[in-house]
Amino acid sequence: MDGLRAHADLIHLLKSRFPALTGQLGAKALSQQAKSLQSAAAEGALLAQDAVSGKTTRVYAREHSSDLRTAAVRVEAELKRAKTEPSLEPKLHRLAVIAARVSVVLERLGGASRNEERALARELRAAAAEAERIGRALK
Amino acid sequence: MSLKNVLAVALGIMSAIGGFVDIGDLVFNTQAGATFGFQLLWVVVVGVVGIIVYSEMCGRASAFAERPVFDLVRERAGFGAGLATLVASEVVNLMTCAAEIGGLAICLRLLSGLPYRLLIPLAVLGLVLASWVLPFRWIERVFGYLGLGLLVFAVAAIKLHPNWGHVAHGFVPGSHAGGSLTVYLYFVVGLLGAAMTPYEVYFYSSGVVEDRWGLKDLRLNKVTAIIGYSLGGFLSFALMIVAGVLFLPRGISPQFLGTPALGAEHALGQIGLLLALVGILFAVGGAAIETSFAGAYNLAQFFGWRWGKKERPAKASRFTLSWLVIFALALLLVMTGYDPVKLTEYSVIFSVVALPLTYLPILLVANDRTYMGANTNGKLANFLGGLYLILIVVIALAAIPLLLLTNGGQG
Repeated sequence: MDGLRAHADLIHLLKSRFPALTGQLGAKALSQQAKSLQSAAAEGALLAQDAVSGKTTRVYAREHSSDLRTAAVRVEAELKRAKTEPSLEPKLHRLAVIAARVSVVLERLGGASRNEERALARELRAAAAEAERIGRALK
Repeated sequence: MSLKNVLAVALGIMSAIGGFVDIGDLVFNTQAGATFGFQLLWVVVVGVVGIIVYSEMCGRASAFAERPVFDLVRERAGFGAGLATLVASEVVNLMTCAAEIGGLAICLRLLSGLPYRLLIPLAVLGLVLASWVLPFRWIERVFGYLGLGLLVFAVAAIKLHPNWGHVAHGFVPGSHAGGSLTVYLYFVVGLLGAAMTPYEVYFYSSGVVEDRWGLKDLRLNKVTAIIGYSLGGFLSFALMIVAGVLFLPRGISPQFLGTPALGAEHALGQIGLLLALVGILFAVGGAAIETSFAGAYNLAQFFGWRWGKKERPAKASRFTLSWLVIFALALLLVMTGYDPVKLTEYSVIFSVVALPLTYLPILLVANDRTYMGANTNGKLANFLGGLYLILIVVIALAAIPLLLLTNGGQG
């Protein structure tokens, strides 16, 4: 009996740690994705803000925004692949849309002009705020 | 103390400050600050005192016995225990060396814009050349001094105007807010592991022999360990404070080595960014050499080969081949494309598991009159050594479960 319980506990632990095993994203896993997305967007916004103020170098802005874009693309791919329970579908869909938008904006940030950087910083801040709101609602 | 000695101490301390921070400290201090603000500053203090206690012991043992500590460990602990220590430390050294090389290539990419995969072999080539050409003392100094660029984080921390009351509160262990208890404990373990990495004591003790320290240098050993590591700890504080002020309120979870540099950039502009990147470059470059050498030192000292930078490469051929092979294996590991930041997290956590194997034999040797004569541990060194040993065993047992439970600190 104890062995069975331990087995069930292990499966529960594995499912909660590796949601892909269940084929579905639960609220917690979805909230993690929202957190990752918020992080990439907020960091991109900070980088864009520094670029507007002339605080960064061209090379660093291009390379670091490319790293952040990789993170956003990964989140986007995972969200697009994921399934979730019906009540969480709208949030999953919305997060996927934000992730796609953040990826595009971060790609543009690498080679943007000063004026464009200002607009991109605004967009990234808005995306971070929305991802945070969704993440909080999922907790 | 003559002016020459004061200068020697100052130079030693400066290189110890610049050489204290490696990729593990950069990753864990920044992530801890971004997750818990200043609440984990006390852990850095605990870690720094631990590395001071054991480095001083190692330095004293090596200076008195005129033999490096791994040599003494193998003799004192016997072949079986010595071999287990050797295997564990070599695995951790290799992982850490690979992480540092990956970090070096990332830094070069952020400075030059050249492709990462091209920069990895170039970085290794540069490290091999520096290791081959420079004498031991100059390897320590060049990388240590240029690693002082990291002091820019101390300036950035001040310029970002943290709430100093909250910062002071962070030095007092207590309840936490802003994340789960398991994530908090994961960072406690990671920060201790990053501060007390085994390769640092092996490199330090072999350095004592390379620099030909003797009994007359016992005070120099104490001063260098205490002041050098303490001031190096300030860099860790600065990294955590910058992350706590800048990243935590914005919900940024640092996943890239370029993120800490963003903190210096935001506070100080382009000059801050460049100093941070150069500081990181030399800090991780120096640590890559230290890990490859620590690995070669351990092998050579365990098997009784001729070793040391003071020897001609042909005379200490197996030692020279060992550090070259460690660089080559680390190069292969990084070329697989595995994320250096993730590799850092794993190397630090696995180094925590290996900590008791490193520190218990050192404590035994430091209490053995056969090796230490009248210079065995005093009451304070034994009290602190024993206390840290208990702490090390506890965190070694907790490290892997916490890594799994928190999904590497993600919660």
